[in-house]
Amino acid sequence: MNPETVFTFTCPVKTNSGNKALENLPIELSGLNAGKPLIVTSIGKVGRNAIRTLTGAFGDSGMTLGVFDGLPDKVDPALIEQLRTTIIEGKYDSVISLGGGTIVDSAKILNLAVSLKTTDVRSLSAQTPVNRNLLPLVVVLTANATGLETSQQATLNGTVLSSEYLAPVLVVIDPRLTRGKEGKIIYATGLAALGRALEAHIGAGKNPFREAYSFAAIRFIRENLPAAVRNPDDKKTTLAVLNAAAMSGCAFSGTDASPLHKLGQVFQEVYNIHPGIIMGMCLPHILGDYLHQGGHDLSSLLQPLTGDDDFTQTPEDQRAGATVSVLNRFMADLYSVLGKDVPQTLKEPGVPRYVMEDILDVLDADPDGVYLRAVVGRIWDKTPVAEKKG
Amino acid sequence: MGLVDVVRAGRKPFKRAYVAVFLWFTGRAIQAAAKVDEQVRREFDSLPDDFTFSLGVLPDGPWMLIGKDKGRVKYLGGNPGGRRIYIRLAMKNIETAFLILSFRESTALATARNRLITEGEVPHALAMIRVMDIVEVYLLPKMIARLAIKRYPSWTPGRKVFGRIGIYTRVLLGI
Amino acid sequence: MDLPDYYEFCCRVKIVAGHNALEKIPVLLADKGSKKPLIITDKGVVGAGLIDIVSRVLQDRLAGTLIADNVPPDSDIRIVHQLAQLYRDSGCDAIVAVGGGSVMDTAKGVNIVVSENASDLMAFSGAGALKRPLKPLIAIPTTAGTGSEVTQVAVIKDHEKHLKMAFLSYFLLPDVSVLDPRMTMTMPPFVTAMTGMDALSHAMEAYYCLQKNPLSDAHALSAVNMIYRYLPIVADNPLDPNGRLAMSVGACLAGIAFSNSMTGIVHNLGHASGSVCGVPHGQAMAILLPYGLEYNMHKCEDTIVRLLLPMAGEAVYHDTVKEQRPQKVVSLIRQLNEDLHKMTDGRHARCFGELKDREQKPTVPREALPRIARAALLDGASMYNPEDTDYDDNLMVLEAAWEGHPLDRSKVKKG
Repeated sequence: MNPETVFTFTCPVKTNSGNKALENLPIELSGLNAGKPLIVTSIGKVGRNAIRTLTGAFGDSGMTLGVFDGLPDKVDPALIEQLRTTIIEGKYDSVISLGGGTIVDSAKILNLAVSLKTTDVRSLSAQTPVNRNLLPLVVVLTANATGLETSQQATLNGTVLSSEYLAPVLVVIDPRLTRGKEGKIIYATGLAALGRALEAHIGAGKNPFREAYSFAAIRFIRENLPAAVRNPDDKKTTLAVLNAAAMSGCAFSGTDASPLHKLGQVFQEVYNIHPGIIMGMCLPHILGDYLHQGGHDLSSLLQPLTGDDDFTQTPEDQRAGATVSVLNRFMADLYSVLGKDVPQTLKEPGVPRYVMEDILDVLDADPDGVYLRAVVGRIWDKTPVAEKKG
Repeated sequence: MGLVDVVRAGRKPFKRAYVAVFLWFTGRAIQAAAKVDEQVRREFDSLPDDFTFSLGVLPDGPWMLIGKDKGRVKYLGGNPGGRRIYIRLAMKNIETAFLILSFRESTALATARNRLITEGEVPHALAMIRVMDIVEVYLLPKMIARLAIKRYPSWTPGRKVFGRIGIYTRVLLGI
Repeated sequence: MDLPDYYEFCCRVKIVAGHNALEKIPVLLADKGSKKPLIITDKGVVGAGLIDIVSRVLQDRLAGTLIADNVPPDSDIRIVHQLAQLYRDSGCDAIVAVGGGSVMDTAKGVNIVVSENASDLMAFSGAGALKRPLKPLIAIPTTAGTGSEVTQVAVIKDHEKHLKMAFLSYFLLPDVSVLDPRMTMTMPPFVTAMTGMDALSHAMEAYYCLQKNPLSDAHALSAVNMIYRYLPIVADNPLDPNGRLAMSVGACLAGIAFSNSMTGIVHNLGHASGSVCGVPHGQAMAILLPYGLEYNMHKCEDTIVRLLLPMAGEAVYHDTVKEQRPQKVVSLIRQLNEDLHKMTDGRHARCFGELKDREQKPTVPREALPRIARAALLDGASMYNPEDTDYDDNLMVLEAAWEGHPLDRSKVKKG
């Protein structure tokens, strides 16, 4: 906390996490004066069972629900416009998104279009003023979340809209939906959460309110991600990882300079790859640079990344270095569990040249473009974790 | 509107039936405990003469009511019939009710997990929670009751054994 | 970090904090579309010159600001309706509450009446009666203690009918809380000490009570860290602006923690000693806090031990053998009370026995303890305490706290 500047923090999202969290949806909605929600999701991404679990949780509530399960990977303005009409004509009074990533972007944009009476979704831009309450939006997380679900942002094909009113009123994390089919799904979710929480924890405008979220998120990832990746079917550890994802989104709002987040987003947009995979590749490089440059408060990461005892046993001047080596070891352990399931460089999945060119073009427009390009150059074929280990 | 599937929320008849039976049982047990156990009787004595307590499930039941009637504590079925309800303890949904009434979550933990909504004055609610804790000690084996309450009481074996027999008999006979 | 089987957490309040945070108010009001706010406060706040500071900030931009300074020390339903009438008659469009707990409660009550256009506030009492956002409410706390700038509760009294009504809803959370050290700078050391201990008791009880969860934990630990470090600093040097800001932030973090995790025996007995003997709330918290930890120690030693590092820092943590760390937490709180006692020339009491009222009569006569123990059975905070409490337990704790002796933990009943 820098006492010389005034800081602001807000997290409009309520968290309901744990056993039978879904079953509380009817009463949560009625507390918000809502009784007819529209569920939006992608059956291809979340699966039929997840949708059934969600609608089943409304049992005995007497409510009527709308279900749209055909959201595509990208936010589709024409589809949003159709859904907007459905909401208005069907008199739906709230939106529930089931799933993570772009599903929630679509839900947020849809909510915006309904509440601001926008008929042309393409006209929404970063300059669109969003300064009043929208319809209640509830996000129900599944294993492949990115953490941005709980943030105050929505991405509409490259354009980032940002307002505290865009954040959901409620995030629901239920252990029936947090288990993943494969370790790499939980890995990606966990790394996206870790990356954003780290950036929030050391980023400019640090304050204790934001730190409460980032601290808890980092601790949860450290304590639960390795076990969850090893056994993605485990309820308790995957629930904790998804909790960390939700917290990272809350912490992240209000963090500006954030190379990990930016790189993750660009690759998601252009190449439709989970941002956590990219953030995992970049993390050791970027933290190594921070250590080298100085000026970043890496030592404050050691406590959430280790534990009270290890933290107090490390002399103060060695904490920044210890943070980086702890993280590198953490990454190396995860990679060793996952083996070839998760790429450690861009070369492995063979990102095509034209895609790389598009990505570099987008990065050029960023104020930190030069640095971000350099990082992309390094993750093409370099694995610092392996080097350090050797 | 072919774009969206319209789904009407389903029903959960089995869980409802279980919850209804347990509410009935708990109601009769409280009525019996008020006759058998000194501490429960004292708790009820301190409550108003037309005191009514209701326990049930949102949004539309089942419910059970316990009331004082001419100084006697009676199980009143599921319908308030115009009585003023002093304390309403509502479980947020049928799944929650199932968790609580199958003793997988104690009243204290369920409260801490925001699973119950209490309406009415706090002192009355606390009195009813103490009554329900005592009833659980009578009805349940120690192993289960220990999970359902914060601190298992150190009663004399006489109080527990005779109380338990008395309450079970009265519940089954409805007296 | 523990993850409970189920938890809920919510704090939607926008926090604006720092030196000169007040200067943001015009923008914050404009964001909410407000042109004519009603400032609700009390005579004490006005007398301390704090409203002058606020109105100076507002004057340039908002000509229509109205000030009502008649909030009594205990919230009153008549004043709530009176202020609501003033709000409507003057065409106000937002509320700015400047003060302590009673002002916040009153402002929340007024907001219900004006937003719901209610003729009777009573109709909205209890939980869940509010279903939509209220008018904009900006809270500016003038103590660093109650945390009511971030709680979803309001307590309003009907003095004629002898009723105390509680209102509970997330819609009662203020839209914004502004933490500016200028607002707490004039607090005298003994008020600073007891409000600070109130905040510390929020943080610690939030950390060990049954509704604890990872987010309330994170807020609580951070609060403990700031309050324990800065309370002696500002009690000693009231004009330290950085210390004051840290205390406001710490108390706010503690408020967020306890409003999501609730409180236990310390608050339970504290409320009762307030209602039976009129013990000032913060003073009761200061006295009872070590006993709350001792009473629950057998159930949550593993939790209490984790308070040591944020409290005392690395050196003390490191130098204390593992087995003694939980007990160290308790003894450090006793030491803090001792230090505050000295800094306030004895006004900050360490036990009920030495607490005196204005006429130097004992506030808590020893024979009142059974009445306090009984009154505590009527208070809801007992629900969230890890260990069960009955009349005998309450009396045992109160007697130790009256004498100022540590609790004999072998006498605590275990199930």
